[in-house]
Amino acid sequence: LCSLLPQAFSASQWSAGDGGDTDGTFECNICLDTAKDAVISLCGHLFCWPCLHQWLETRPNRQVCPVCKAGISRDKVIPLYGRGSFGFGDGGFQMSFGIGAFPFGFIATAFNMNEGRDAPAAAGTQQQTDEQFLSRLFFYVALFLMLWLFIA
Amino acid sequence: MLCGATMASMQKRLQKELLALQRDPPPGMKVDEKSIQASLTQWIVDMEGASGTLYEGERFQLLFKFSSRYPFDSPEVVFIGDNIPVHPHVYSNGHICLSILTEDWSPALSVQSVCLSIVSMLSSCKDKKRPPDNALYVRTCDKNPKKTKWWYHDDNC
Ligand SMILES: [Zn+2]
Ligand SMILES: [Zn+2]
Repeated sequence: LCSLLPQAFSASQWSAGDGGDTDGTFECNICLDTAKDAVISLCGHLFCWPCLHQWLETRPNRQVCPVCKAGISRDKVIPLYGRGSFGFGDGGFQMSFGIGAFPFGFIATAFNMNEGRDAPAAAGTQQQTDEQFLSRLFFYVALFLMLWLFIA
Repeated sequence: MLCGATMASMQKRLQKELLALQRDPPPGMKVDEKSIQASLTQWIVDMEGASGTLYEGERFQLLFKFSSRYPFDSPEVVFIGDNIPVHPHVYSNGHICLSILTEDWSPALSVQSVCLSIVSMLSSCKDKKRPPDNALYVRTCDKNPKKTKWWYHDDNC
């Protein structure tokens, strides 16, 4: 497994890149860029969720796949989670959340809340330990002052 | 904010299309680079009639106009210049009766696929003539062909 890792890593870096010279396999059929928050239709065509969502909004009465014209609906698209796309990308998720929740809303919401709570410092990092130390220090200082006032 | 975002994504996509067309143009097709504005909202594509068809040796110019909602919104496409092809689906003012330019538009289509459709529309023609309602249409239509309520016929002329 270890010997496979470096190769996998470079492959995910390649697909996460600008996509300028890729063969188009992982490019969204609408924006022609590497698909963000990628979803796949039942007919097998790949899109960014924000792009597909906007297209479905454009023609609410005639929802068809932009590529093959097969019927398509927002409840019947499959999100793709590649190795590089674990955290819903870099801010891409926030954008799709703004214009229509990701199809699998409950996972997305859990992620979002989690992100919101832990945003300033991820658990276990040095920064968080420092913050905990500081808040404890404040607590003790306040306690000391109260005791001092009480005694005085 | 939304407006800025759609503008940026429209330009990003047009930039990609332009690059691909310049790098690997389909036969007989060339983007007129001088015609392209910085905003990329308007392009002229020079094209040639395919060999072995009634339009062999002829040269045409197509004007593309893109709204900020491209590719969700279809481009406005008309023939311009002094050679408007004589074809049952092309009016003498350059307007084209082609369903992918309005109701059958899809954001997976592109400048290149529109050009190829137009070339194949011309290539399948067996009788060079104007649409029967040409005179009336040209006199009464809107400048923008997308405002026309087209009646699409399936005939390949
Ligand atoms: Zn996209
Ligand atoms: Zn499809």
